[in-house]
This record gives sequence, structure tokens and C-alpha cells, in this order.
Amino acid sequence: MKKTAHELREIAGWMAETDIGFLELRMPGATVRLGRRSEEVVTLDDGQRADAQVDGRAGAPDQNPAGLHPDTVTAGSVGVFLHAHPCATAPFVRTGTEVLAGQTLGLLRIGVLLLPVVASRAGTVAALRAGDGATVGYGAPLVDLHSF
Amino acid sequence: MIEILSNAALATVQDLGRLGSLRFGVGTAGAMDDLALAAGNLLLGNEAGAAGIEIPVFPFKVRFTDDCAFALTGADCGARLDATPLLPWWSHQARAGQVLTLGLPQGAQRASRALLCLPGGVDVPEVLGSRSTQMRGAFGGHEGRALRKGDVLRAAEPERACRTGFGLVPPAVALPLEIGGLIALRVLPGAEYLGFDAASRDAFWASEWRITAQSDRYGYRLAGEVLQPLAPMELRSHGIVPGVIQVPHNGQPIIQMRDAQPSGGYPKFGAVIEADLWRLGQAPIGSRIRFIETRWEEAVAALEQKEAWLAKVARMVALHRSAPMEIAA
Repeated sequence: MKKTAHELREIAGWMAETDIGFLELRMPGATVRLGRRSEEVVTLDDGQRADAQVDGRAGAPDQNPAGLHPDTVTAGSVGVFLHAHPCATAPFVRTGTEVLAGQTLGLLRIGVLLLPVVASRAGTVAALRAGDGATVGYGAPLVDLHSF
Repeated sequence: MIEILSNAALATVQDLGRLGSLRFGVGTAGAMDDLALAAGNLLLGNEAGAAGIEIPVFPFKVRFTDDCAFALTGADCGARLDATPLLPWWSHQARAGQVLTLGLPQGAQRASRALLCLPGGVDVPEVLGSRSTQMRGAFGGHEGRALRKGDVLRAAEPERACRTGFGLVPPAVALPLEIGGLIALRVLPGAEYLGFDAASRDAFWASEWRITAQSDRYGYRLAGEVLQPLAPMELRSHGIVPGVIQVPHNGQPIIQMRDAQPSGGYPKFGAVIEADLWRLGQAPIGSRIRFIETRWEEAVAALEQKEAWLAKVARMVALHRSAPMEIAA
């Protein structure tokens, strides 16, 4: 199952074509972590696993990898999209809710982990594109925002 | 540093407990919801057993004197940082001067105790291998007592940068155990179980039990069917541990909790398994609970399942904390 150097270069090549910033491959007996350094995809060793490590790319990730509506917030990871926190019944937002940049619109559940899905800009929620509890892929459209 | 601003009735510094000292007559103490404490610590990259603050009475208010990361787990208390609402089971970042306020527990899975964790744990001295507050002996924790308004506590690693802004699926959702919407607890029959009549034994498993107001970190007194012994039992005092269910002469069970004394003489009907004590630790006064008869093998498997959940949390959090920032957004 060990990946050859050739296969890793191939995977790094695929990764370079996307805006994926970090990739972990777990295989029996080995784990490989790929990350970005400037424009390059590099292998990260354990010494680089510090908190809040930031790669060399400037600015926010491209929220628009597939030529979607410019105000669409997309999934930053594979996961399950949640409209409400598991402890709550009320959703974070509904169609028509006015939101500020950085406001939580929903959550992405990845195993036991919950990550926030946040508004890329201030606006009004035009549509929730993924259902509550829907399994979504990387880059899947989650929420459409209209500018004020 | 954090300064306690409210009359913090009964809030205490707790870790996972002072294990190994029962033979000296020293009880275990430790967080009533050990899973929430461990998870809160893992969210910050702490050891699972670092000391945190257990908060059973609300509102509870603290001011951060410096910038500081923190994690909130356990009961969802509609927390606010100044005016900003905070998610439960989540890691947060406070700026110097901000005030954290916890209100009454809310939500469908209403729990009763919130846990506040800080980077590196709450910095109090270790006594007999633990930082838990031993209330009976008045040692450990913060000056061997519950916290008071004006107390100032320090994080062990206040300067450590922590990635915050993410959370966990609460274990009440991830590892539910209920019967008819009531919290259920798995119980191993105890040494004197067969000393109770058959009707009482059946009633114990089949009926609901209310947690009375005479319940605290020392023990939960339950109200329900009267459990009748076949013949009066007089026992010498013997060692007991958290989870043991005693039945005194009135036939109403008492479950020993984290601050229980280490010996007692009432007949032991059973014991809530270690893996389910966190569920009981979160059951509010006045709520009703149910019991499920279990076996040793199942109790061990339940403990393994709990540890597996924590291991998954540790792994996923470590992965997230080591990922480049943009994934966190």
C-alpha cells in the first residue's frame, strides 16, 4: 500500500490544480501530509505540525473554484452540512437572514469535529443550497448570499 | 488570568480525579462529567486530564485579564463573550478585558454542569497526584475550596497560541443512551442485590427514578419505588467508590458520586458503570432516569467505547490544529 514517490508526485500535481491547502494520506504503516508552500505542494514532516501554521499563499481561499455564482459559500472540506448546532433546534440562518462577513451560516461535521461555515461577505441569505444533514463534497455550494 | 465576577457558588477546579488514594481514605473527587473535561482539554491541545473549572450554578461570570483561548463543554449555557453568543462544545478566543457569561442550561439535551478549560489547564498545585478540589479534606484545587467572587485563576500556558473557532459533536448526541426520552444508565448488580425481594429488583429496572434536591457532588438521592430487603441487612463499613448504589433503611437509593466518602455500611444494590457516570453527572436535579442491567463484559466494552470516542477526538483535533489555516475557515 505504500505510495511510491511517483504516485506522490502525481497526487501533489492534482493538488496543485485545486485550492486544497492540506491533504493527509493514511496508509497501513505510513502517513503522508501534503501542504502548500508558496505555489508549491510540499511534504510536511511532523516538526511542521505546529499550531496555526499558515502557508505562503496570500489572502482568503478561492471561494469560487467551479465558476459558481460569485456569492456562493462553498464547503472547505468533505463533510456533513448542518443548518443548526446539534444542541440547538433553530438554524443559524434562513433564507432572507441578513448576515455580517464572518458570521456562522452553518456547520460542517467531519466525524466528531464541527467546523463553522462562515459568510465570505456581508449580505442576505438568498438560498441554502445543501440540505440539513446532506453529505457534501469539497467545494460543494452551501449558501448563496446576495449583497445588500 | 481570569477573575471570577459572580458569586460562583459551588464552582470548583477539577481534573479527572485523585485516583489511587482511596486506601488512605481520600476520595477521588474529579469532574462529574469527565468526558466533557477531557474533550474541552483536547480542543485546546491540552492533556485530557488537565484541570478545568466545573460550573454547576448559573449565572457564572469571569473576566479575562489577558488574551486567552478557552473551551466550553458540558451543559449548553447560552454562553456570551461580552455580547457575542458562543457555541457550546467549542473552542474560543477571548481578548483582554472581555467578560464570559454562562446562563441557565438550555437545549433539548439539558445538562447541568458546564466545563471551562484553559490552555495548559488551570494552574493550581498538584496534591496527592491530582489538581481536583477535595472538599471534604479542604485541599487540592484552588485553596481546597469552591471558587468565590474575586478569585483569580491562571492558565498554566497562558501565552500558548491555540487554534480556536471549531468544536465537537457533543457525546450526548454521539453516544446517546436513553429509554423513552429519559437518561439511562447501565448498572452492575451489587453484592447485596439478591438480598432485596424480587418485586423490588424488578421495580428497580422497570421504573423511573427522580433525582431529588438532596443531590450534589457527594451523592444523588433518588425517589421512586421503595426497595425492600428480604431481611434487614446490617453491614460493617466497607470501601465504596463513585457509582455505587446504596439502599438505606428508607428503601430510596443513593448513588455515590465523585465527592463520596470512601467507605459506607448500607447494602449495595448495584453500581452505575464507570463509563456512564458522566451521564449521571449531567442529569439535572428533578429529572428522571432509568437503569439498564448490564454485565461486566458490557461495562468494559462501554469503557472502551468511551475511550475510543476520546481517541477519535484527540486525533481529529490534532489533525485540524496542524492543518494550514484556510481549512479552518
